[in-house]
Amino acid sequence: MRLSLTTLATAAAMAAAPAFADVTVYTAGPAKLIDTLAKGFTAKTGIKVDVYQATTGKVMARLQAEAAHPVADVVISASWDSATAMTNQGLLLPYTSPNSAHVPDFLKSDTAVAEGVSALAIAWNPNSETPEPKDWSDLTKPAFKDKVTMPDPAQSGSAFELVAALEAAQGDQSLKDLASNGAIVAGANAQALNPVLQGAKAAVFGAVDYISLAAAAKGEAVKVIFPASGTVIAPRPAMILKSSSHPEEAKKFIDYMLSELGQEAVAATYLMPARTDVAAKRPGIAELKRLPFDTEKAYGSRKETLAGFAKMFAK
Amino acid sequence: MRLRGGTEQAVLAALTALALAIFVGLPFVFILLQAIFPRIGAGSFKDPFAHFAGLVSAGDLPIETANSLLLGVGTVALSAVLAIPLAALRALTRLPGAVLWDLLFLLPFMVPPYIASLGWILTLQPAGYMQQLCGVNLAWFLFSVPGIVFVLTMNTFPVVYFALSRSFTAIGGRYAEVSRVAGATPLRAFIRVTLPLSWPSLAASLLLVFAMAIEEYGTPAVLGTRIGFRVLVTGIDGSISDWPVDLPKAALLSLVLVGLATLAFFLQRRLLVRRGYETATGRAAAAPPRAPLGRWRWPVLAGFAIVAFLASGVPLLAILATALSRTISGGLVPANLGLQNFRAIVANSSGAFSALVTSLGLALITALSAGLLGTLTAYVASRTNARLRGFIELMAALPNAAPGVVVALGLILLWNQPALPVTPYNTLAILLLAYVFLLLPQPVRFTTAALHQIGPSLEAAARVSGASAVRTLGRVLLPLLLPNLLAAMLLSFVVASRELVASLLVLPVGRQTIGTFIWSQFDQGSVGLGMAMAFVTIVVTTLLPLTVLIVARRAEAAL
Repeated sequence: MRLSLTTLATAAAMAAAPAFADVTVYTAGPAKLIDTLAKGFTAKTGIKVDVYQATTGKVMARLQAEAAHPVADVVISASWDSATAMTNQGLLLPYTSPNSAHVPDFLKSDTAVAEGVSALAIAWNPNSETPEPKDWSDLTKPAFKDKVTMPDPAQSGSAFELVAALEAAQGDQSLKDLASNGAIVAGANAQALNPVLQGAKAAVFGAVDYISLAAAAKGEAVKVIFPASGTVIAPRPAMILKSSSHPEEAKKFIDYMLSELGQEAVAATYLMPARTDVAAKRPGIAELKRLPFDTEKAYGSRKETLAGFAKMFAK
Repeated sequence: MRLRGGTEQAVLAALTALALAIFVGLPFVFILLQAIFPRIGAGSFKDPFAHFAGLVSAGDLPIETANSLLLGVGTVALSAVLAIPLAALRALTRLPGAVLWDLLFLLPFMVPPYIASLGWILTLQPAGYMQQLCGVNLAWFLFSVPGIVFVLTMNTFPVVYFALSRSFTAIGGRYAEVSRVAGATPLRAFIRVTLPLSWPSLAASLLLVFAMAIEEYGTPAVLGTRIGFRVLVTGIDGSISDWPVDLPKAALLSLVLVGLATLAFFLQRRLLVRRGYETATGRAAAAPPRAPLGRWRWPVLAGFAIVAFLASGVPLLAILATALSRTISGGLVPANLGLQNFRAIVANSSGAFSALVTSLGLALITALSAGLLGTLTAYVASRTNARLRGFIELMAALPNAAPGVVVALGLILLWNQPALPVTPYNTLAILLLAYVFLLLPQPVRFTTAALHQIGPSLEAAARVSGASAVRTLGRVLLPLLLPNLLAAMLLSFVVASRELVASLLVLPVGRQTIGTFIWSQFDQGSVGLGMAMAFVTIVVTTLLPLTVLIVARRAEAAL
């Protein structure tokens, strides 16, 4: 009896095998999120997920190097502009998931849909003996002299968008003031947060919110403040490559990512879920004031913006 | 003097050249192609040199090149100043606790430089561990060019210390005694005889330090960014750290870096080539007469203790303190300390454990492959007249200071060609290829230095006695090379087991290495968890080679 069951199971597995091709996902962090999504997806569909997780830059570099013979089926980046560029290059497969009905229009296009959304904020250490900041400009005040870090816009796409948006909305005076107030530019996002946690610095100007919120949840002395004058958001586009050899499986993966279960996994990492009907564990998109942001204009003058910024903060 | 090339030597040379072409030459060709043709990834040769003008006019290139040089030369100088006296005292005097100091100076090898730098930041920045314990901070020093050179030196000077103390022991025993008999004082004998005869070891190890310093990413990245100190490697990684990425720029900058290292390599060879340094004669060397320290005993011990504390004590304690902290902001108070991060590592044992096994296994195979290929390369290059010698020397020089990111890029471009029927890409073998490429210079340098000190008369004697070239290599040279080769292989093992930059880009899907596992924790703000994994790794990578060394020493003693 046992033997026949095993035989049956094996036969069934073999018969089903062609339908169970792996789907390969290249994704920016967090690692925990893609692990949860991959496990949940495999449990539901039986399709195995092969994951490569790195920074957005590394993911994009690998895609470019592999362009002659692409490996990935699904790509999840932390920069919406990368999706726009890949769409313009004709690399993406158009797909509208039935589960994207509750995703607001500005978080989806024909070829990409947000997995979740992060925003930039002030990450402030309440033990730092500084007054709680309410807006970006508070960090240019004497109380924060030599007490502020900022991610490098040349290394962090979201920090670049913040710089571009602030300059477009308010001119570059507040950034100049920030530089003359002794703020330092400290590498990529994680590097800017650590000095604030230990108390070497009091606040991060432009911290990635979900990382700081997760740190706060672990008991770190850090408070995430969304500035009164507004901030920029970074939707994380999920896309299917046109070159995918398993487009049906890839579509199923996008469906799962946008399912309630998938979006709850997104919310658990303190990101804002892309679907408005899934609750966030933090202030949602509707509650955030956003700075006006013109993607095309910002990226069109990226070099000049970065050069100007580097000049302001040159020592 | 070189031996005549026989058929055996020609075959050996051809095989070595073939292996080098596959491991080094082909990936390098693709790095070159990427530097010239921006769209080579898509298989297109359009717009060659399109980005050259922009790169030069931006003005970054000369500054970054100058900064890289400054960092390399500074680290070499400080390493020499520190390591020469320490090695001399270790080799030529009756230093109490000699083996303990060796162990303490071995530890900095085991600490990945980017993690050591993070440890230094957590210790020296305002409100850091030093301020929590003694009320002052040294941020002004740490975040400065001398600070970066200091942190790098703490990580690299042991290379010079170990190479020199071995060399001093070997030379001091015989030649210094002769000069003493001729009436020289111990100091004079050291300066006039032992030190000059150790020149090959010194030059080889300083060259290695130079290459390590200019190819190091983590330290200048975490310490240099905030003072605007940019070097070539940070420029390379910056161009692919976030959207938009610039692969041609990365490839071009890395060619400059490789150029610098190759220049240093040929400079070293030019300095060595015209003089004889043969000190190994095959006769058992007498143990050197070690001078008593007398009243210098305590100052010398204090000096060793201070260096050991700075090189291994501070980084290790900082890593441990962070790994034991519940939160970073909680600081060093008993209520904030616990084993939760180590427990989390055990709980995530599948991820952490498989990363450990993957990295250690790959590192072992890397050490063996690089050791074999490196020895053959050094042998063919310095002992034969084979026609392929020039090519082999070039191939051996190319990986010098090649940055991991770009090596990874070259490997993807090469091995992901659609025309290939089988490919190592997206398997663990691609990591092996990357590690062998990056680490090949280690065994080549170490065995070349050793070959320079072995007189050709030994091989001539073997050949006259009728031994074939392969037999001479295996029975005469290899045993004499073994100590140096073992050291190079241990170094390769340790560096490969924690390699991050290349691994991150060519990681096969669904795999983690130790380096990427730790990085992934840091990237998401879990510094404590990353440090716990780093600590476990340091313990494992210290104990494994230590066991090998002890066994090797026992075996040596038994002979």
